[in-house]
Amino acid sequence: MDEIFAETKSDPYYFEKRKSSIIIGVNIQKMSKWCFAPFMGCATIEYGYDLMLTDLGNRYAINIGSEKGEELLEKYAKNVTNALARDIQLVGQKKREIMYMSQQKFDFPPELIPELLSKSYEKSAFWENHSEKCLACGSCVLVCPTCYCFDVKDNPDLSLARGERIRTWDGCLLEDFAKIASGENFRATKPTRYRHRYFKKGKYLYDRFGFISCVGCGRCSSNCLPDIANPVSLFNDMYHQIRDKEMLATAATTPEVKIETEGNIDYVPKLATIVKKVPMTANETLFELRLNDGSELGHKPGQFVEISVFGIGEAPISLSSPPTKKGTFELCVRKVGNVTSKLHTLNVGDEVGVRGPFGTGFDADFLKGKDLLFIAGGLGIAPLRSLFNYVLDNRKDYGNVILLYGCKEPRELLFSSELLALKNRTDVEFKNTVNWCPENEEWAGNIGVITTLIPQVDFDPEKTWTIVCGPPVMYKFVIADLKAKKVPDDHIILSLERRMKCGVGKCGHCQINQIYVCKDGPVFNYSKIKGVPEAL
Amino acid sequence: MKKPNINVEVHHVTRVEGHGNIYVNVKDGIIEKCEWNISEAPRFFEAMVAGRNWNELHHITSRICGICSIGHTLASLRATEAAMGIKISDQDLKLRKIALHAENLQSHILHLGFLVLPDLMGVGSVIPLASSNPEEVKTVLQLHRLANEMSNLLCGRTTHPQRLIPGGFSKIPSLKELKELKKKLQDSVPKLQAVAELFKSVAPKLPDFQRETEFIALTKPDEYALYDGDIASSDTGKAPASEYLAFTNEYIVPISTAKRAKHARESYMVGALARLNINFDRLSPLAKKTAGMFGL
Amino acid sequence: MKPKVAFFDFAGCEGDQLQVANLEEELLTLLGQVKVVSFREVMKEHSDNYDIAFIEGSCTRLQDEDRLKQIRKNAKIVVAIGSCATIGGINCIRNYKDLDEVRKTVYGENAKLFDTYAARPIDAVIPVDAYVHGCPIDKDEFLQVVKSLLLGKKPDIPTYPVCVECKKNENVCAFERGQFCVGPVTRAGCNSCCVNEGTVCWGCRGLVDNPNENAQKEVLIKNGLTVDDAIGKFRLYFGWQERKR
Repeated sequence: MDEIFAETKSDPYYFEKRKSSIIIGVNIQKMSKWCFAPFMGCATIEYGYDLMLTDLGNRYAINIGSEKGEELLEKYAKNVTNALARDIQLVGQKKREIMYMSQQKFDFPPELIPELLSKSYEKSAFWENHSEKCLACGSCVLVCPTCYCFDVKDNPDLSLARGERIRTWDGCLLEDFAKIASGENFRATKPTRYRHRYFKKGKYLYDRFGFISCVGCGRCSSNCLPDIANPVSLFNDMYHQIRDKEMLATAATTPEVKIETEGNIDYVPKLATIVKKVPMTANETLFELRLNDGSELGHKPGQFVEISVFGIGEAPISLSSPPTKKGTFELCVRKVGNVTSKLHTLNVGDEVGVRGPFGTGFDADFLKGKDLLFIAGGLGIAPLRSLFNYVLDNRKDYGNVILLYGCKEPRELLFSSELLALKNRTDVEFKNTVNWCPENEEWAGNIGVITTLIPQVDFDPEKTWTIVCGPPVMYKFVIADLKAKKVPDDHIILSLERRMKCGVGKCGHCQINQIYVCKDGPVFNYSKIKGVPEAL
Repeated sequence: MKKPNINVEVHHVTRVEGHGNIYVNVKDGIIEKCEWNISEAPRFFEAMVAGRNWNELHHITSRICGICSIGHTLASLRATEAAMGIKISDQDLKLRKIALHAENLQSHILHLGFLVLPDLMGVGSVIPLASSNPEEVKTVLQLHRLANEMSNLLCGRTTHPQRLIPGGFSKIPSLKELKELKKKLQDSVPKLQAVAELFKSVAPKLPDFQRETEFIALTKPDEYALYDGDIASSDTGKAPASEYLAFTNEYIVPISTAKRAKHARESYMVGALARLNINFDRLSPLAKKTAGMFGL
Repeated sequence: MKPKVAFFDFAGCEGDQLQVANLEEELLTLLGQVKVVSFREVMKEHSDNYDIAFIEGSCTRLQDEDRLKQIRKNAKIVVAIGSCATIGGINCIRNYKDLDEVRKTVYGENAKLFDTYAARPIDAVIPVDAYVHGCPIDKDEFLQVVKSLLLGKKPDIPTYPVCVECKKNENVCAFERGQFCVGPVTRAGCNSCCVNEGTVCWGCRGLVDNPNENAQKEVLIKNGLTVDDAIGKFRLYFGWQERKR
């Protein structure tokens, strides 16, 4: 848990609690029929506790694990004497006994679990069968000692002027865990959510940290009413379904683990004031914000911020302006859910909270000297604009620049005056299209989906890098057309969206397979993401 | 003296528990129409419980009313336990009686403070009283809160109490909690007295209406009966509770979705006033003294 | 300008309106944010000029539909409070019986005088903007919904089942105590109050959006309930929702 909460950015609240906790353990005396801790190397532990007790019948043997534990004993415990040799021997014996208490048995060496999982992702029938009776009740994840996903909610009091922001436990098995305000649910079915739990514990966390994130307590099995949560039965079943067992003979190589911490997460937002508000369409408004403390946001193109409307909540919004624009930054906000709808009712002079910037962003330096093809679908123009305008601000550093932009219909066109001005430039090629044009609107340009624009432009696939952002459904088609034009995989850069809450890869909501979109993305190179099944 | 003409039409009487309309037409001293019309949508509880499991009946019956659900639940439980031969412990019996007292405290404070007091103070609801008589309203709210705390402690909650189950309770308060409750109740007596004083001061505003009435209530020789006992009528005397059908005599009239009952006269009164008239001697000394304040 | 609110009731027990009265001192704070223009149980005044209408009780007669439609016309926001209004409540138990028989059971030969049809939640008659579930409602959840409406946001009503709250409250599962619970398919938001009190979840807040009904019934039967009783459990509160699915 410490490694998980320290990685990349450290969670100060977790470590505060950790520092002020005292951990006293008791070695297992009776083992529940569901427990398989011995198989997970967790029958007994040698570290991590302040005190560990072992029941020797009429007395407890106490192993001191830390200075804190020692002090505790000295201060509070009476009748503590040094252990005799036979006591120590007894403890050793008890610990050995625990190793054999498990009534659950793996039919294969459990070290093979990550390997097994990696071979079983696509087996939909397997996952559908096992999850058929799932009630999405969340019990398995809520009783699990290694689960840590959380949600954050605003709770105003009756004055409506004050309130609290609260962190609560959440679970990936719950239906709406990966759902965003627009209603899109990135893990909408039971089999996909059910599968994710096993993969997160047995594969993703293993690859990232080198341990299988399961202690074998068996709580999930004992609390699952339809009895489908037992990892031992599941993995045994998975193992037996593998035909070529020799493939598994050698355990997967242990991953190289590096825990890097770059400072604490700041969960408390900074205040910012709205300095300009320009409605662009019926549903989208461009906000210009200045941080109250006068500092620069200091973002890279492609990053995002978490905007707080106090009392309502927080929402992730991509930055729409380049870092070359100093003093303020711009956000193009679509009115979809609670936070964005409320944001739309705010005006110049009103304050919001800002956290960030978060995410990987576009590598503007790497792209210098290259030809660039921007492909934007609908609201996808908003994050792309941060890079596009940066490129325009440093035009001579870049090669040919093409922008293709498609939206559903003419009245949904964003940044229309800016984009129209592009047509007067000779150093940029700009084409846009609409899916259709309703009768009462005028449109003289291209009609058709965004992919109809791709054949209309000339570019050298070897020299060109394509930057793509749009609604989830768009990526498959655009990528297919780019591949048809022989664009190499690593020349395609995507910006993806998910439900991003903490922004720092801790709360779990934005996770796609082993990747956190908020931390490892939202900008991805297609060559790296194409193997990630939940990505596109 | 001129013969009176009276026309009264009240749609949806306000500040009562339940729904009804009142129509009165008097012409030249002759009553042409005098109707208490219950138009509330019928809910058919008798049909709802038929065929359900014995351990669900109290849950359904509780939903007859949100304000007196403890009473409905306990009546249903007593019926189930009598039918199934289930006995409850002495402790549970006492706890149930305390639960009924909690309900009475809550219901009567609601009645007095929220429903009747506005009439006696000449306003439409308790809301303006919060500004004109803040201390009194605060006292009423505090007593109402105490009553709710009491029923929360015993039953889980006032409305649709979960802890009341066939055979006793699913959870009971600890001794410490009961002791704390007792202290709070004892400490609240001055507040109750303040409410009594308040009502004494506005009592003259109560209409001077008296009528010969048959009163029917439970009665017991050694306590102020709320939970169990014999049935007593001020006209005909006592009868065992098992003979309740002889007292209920339900009949139907077209102007009322609620059924009516009669016994020795056209109608009879049940409830707090009936209990008082039949069981006055079994009131506690403090209660008798307080009743004395009102000349009772 | 404080929004004007009004309370109405149909076929119900008034328990939900009582929960509003049970806010006690918080009621006075609430009155600082809204103006109550109609609340039959508590005040004499009535006005047809209101912004938010809170409705308790099911619609059980054709003639009650007109009153509902009138309220919908008068109000900007309609909030259903309590199971009877949000999901039909226990009133729907009788929908599975012959309604003529039901009327006869209660009113005998006078049955013809008392009209009724299949009991239904109010959103079967008029569009509803927000729901406060439960039998009775939880007064804190009521406040949450009111605060959300005043702030202009959609109330945060859970879509996950009661099990989540039971686990957070560290309850021993009802099934482990030999009881039969429908918590796994019932919408959370009550803080598992009934299980906390040592009983089971009866389902008063209605089914979650995508319940795995078969799995739940199987769990009930596996633990010893008869098929008839399992079906009966679903008819206690889910009567209307089940028919719709």
